[in-house]
Amino acid sequence: MGITIEDAGVFTTLQDAGRTGYQQFGVSVSGAMDMEAFRLANLLAGNDRDEGALEMTYKGPSIRFEEDEVIAVTGADMRPVLNGESVPVYTALAVRAGDLLEMGFASRGARGYLAFAGGLAVEPVMGSVSTLASKGIGGIEGRALKKGDRIGLKAPKGTLSRMERRSLVPPVYPTDSIAVRVVPGPQDDAFSPEELRNFFWYGAEITNDFDRMGCRLKRETPLKHLGDGNIISDGIAAGSIQVPTNGQPIIMLSDRQTVGGYAKIGTVITADLPKIAQSRPGMKIRFIRVSMDLAQDLYIRSVKEMDAIDTYLNA
Amino acid sequence: MEARFLPAGDCAMLVQLGDAISLEVNGRVLGLYEDLKKDPVEGITEMVPTYASLMVQYRPDKVRFQELKKILEERAARAGSVSQTRKVIREVPICYEGDLAPDLEECARLQGTTTDEIIRMHSSHDYYVYMLGFAPGHPYSARFEEPFSFRRRETARLSIPGGSVVVQQNLSDLIPFDQPCGWNIVGTTPVTITDFRREDPFLVHAGEWVRYIPVSRREYDRIKKEDAAGRYKVRTIEEA
Repeated sequence: MGITIEDAGVFTTLQDAGRTGYQQFGVSVSGAMDMEAFRLANLLAGNDRDEGALEMTYKGPSIRFEEDEVIAVTGADMRPVLNGESVPVYTALAVRAGDLLEMGFASRGARGYLAFAGGLAVEPVMGSVSTLASKGIGGIEGRALKKGDRIGLKAPKGTLSRMERRSLVPPVYPTDSIAVRVVPGPQDDAFSPEELRNFFWYGAEITNDFDRMGCRLKRETPLKHLGDGNIISDGIAAGSIQVPTNGQPIIMLSDRQTVGGYAKIGTVITADLPKIAQSRPGMKIRFIRVSMDLAQDLYIRSVKEMDAIDTYLNA
Repeated sequence: MEARFLPAGDCAMLVQLGDAISLEVNGRVLGLYEDLKKDPVEGITEMVPTYASLMVQYRPDKVRFQELKKILEERAARAGSVSQTRKVIREVPICYEGDLAPDLEECARLQGTTTDEIIRMHSSHDYYVYMLGFAPGHPYSARFEEPFSFRRRETARLSIPGGSVVVQQNLSDLIPFDQPCGWNIVGTTPVTITDFRREDPFLVHAGEWVRYIPVSRREYDRIKKEDAAGRYKVRTIEEA
């Protein structure tokens, strides 16, 4: 009983809010790349916001349900089809035993989320069900889903209370460029004031080298460090912008390594990480300098917004 | 050096306690880490101790940058250093024979000495574990006596097997998982370095020491079998 994966899609993994407390042992955090869309999927499905859900990349999976269940699809719109009929995203959907849900390709955005009411029956590893595929940790056997996988449902629901109001307005993701806000540091002093200005003045292009570990950028003029750009290896926060010796920045994301020895010019604010998760190679990215105070105000505002949606849907 | 409090985005701060890779600086990092573990600060979600700094992750809806900085200034001042007088040593078996030590002869050539001398230099000193990182349970460790003169290989290998023990200068790392690597492989341990079946999956921790115990190929095979069955436990000793 549960669900069967009839087609795995491009790269589909189980993710939650990430593995907390194990970076000190060298274990990457992992977790959803777009925490906002991930949490909204859970709230629509009546779950705790950090319940494990499927993260789908470009094209989602096809799934056969063996039990009645309520699901919600958010993030990049992969045009879900249920038993041959189009169904809406950002809306709780009741599915019946025997139903087939098929995801297509997203034309905008990159990552979609599929949440299941009551969650998937998967044993957590180090307190999290998130998949770290590069190290074979968590999720379904530590890997992306494949055809034939069967996953149990923890507490499937035939329906939820107030189904008619379980719907939100889907975002529209840009296709050509994004602007993200950045707090300088921790090693902005590894660059001259002019070079720091250049970093914020001139954008960069998102390259094909973009996965759950990081987003590699290409600047027309590589950034120059004051010294050789090496530091005594230290911890790396989500959104850290590392500048290796070649001067081409890398934004460190969910599956980032825990420590690194390159200077980090700035850190993308938490509230803007979803923009990166939904961008694609070839798009342009620009950085806007903000103060710590504003970044933390925005963080608090996004927590409050999520709380308000939780109350509206599930209180 | 005065402690520095560096912003790492809206949810993390780096507390830099020195600008050198040394026992003294790392002791202060672990001192602050222990202090915050014993007496937690509301809002801190995770800590990552490294060579010379402690990364503190926190929730700005619980505690904000300036406020946390003030608290950590006080803590860094009172925490002091973890005691370096008591050594926790993990005895890690290592085999320096045949295909388990593919670069042993190369090390001897680079050092201008015999393979026996490389084994002696490598196994007769204890290694301090500054931090874990890069991969789960991967120790960054170093000895303080008789460094090798050689550094990395000219070209890195695309993949070396988990269990390899790699060296350059005074550094010696245990490689928990298959990975690309540019260092020379001096030997191999039969013990699974990171084993999620164990209650504590990590063989060594930051602030502990590694002592390599040379074993024969036969002994290696025996330990490997015991380890696979989940019955092998490395010996841990404490020295004053």
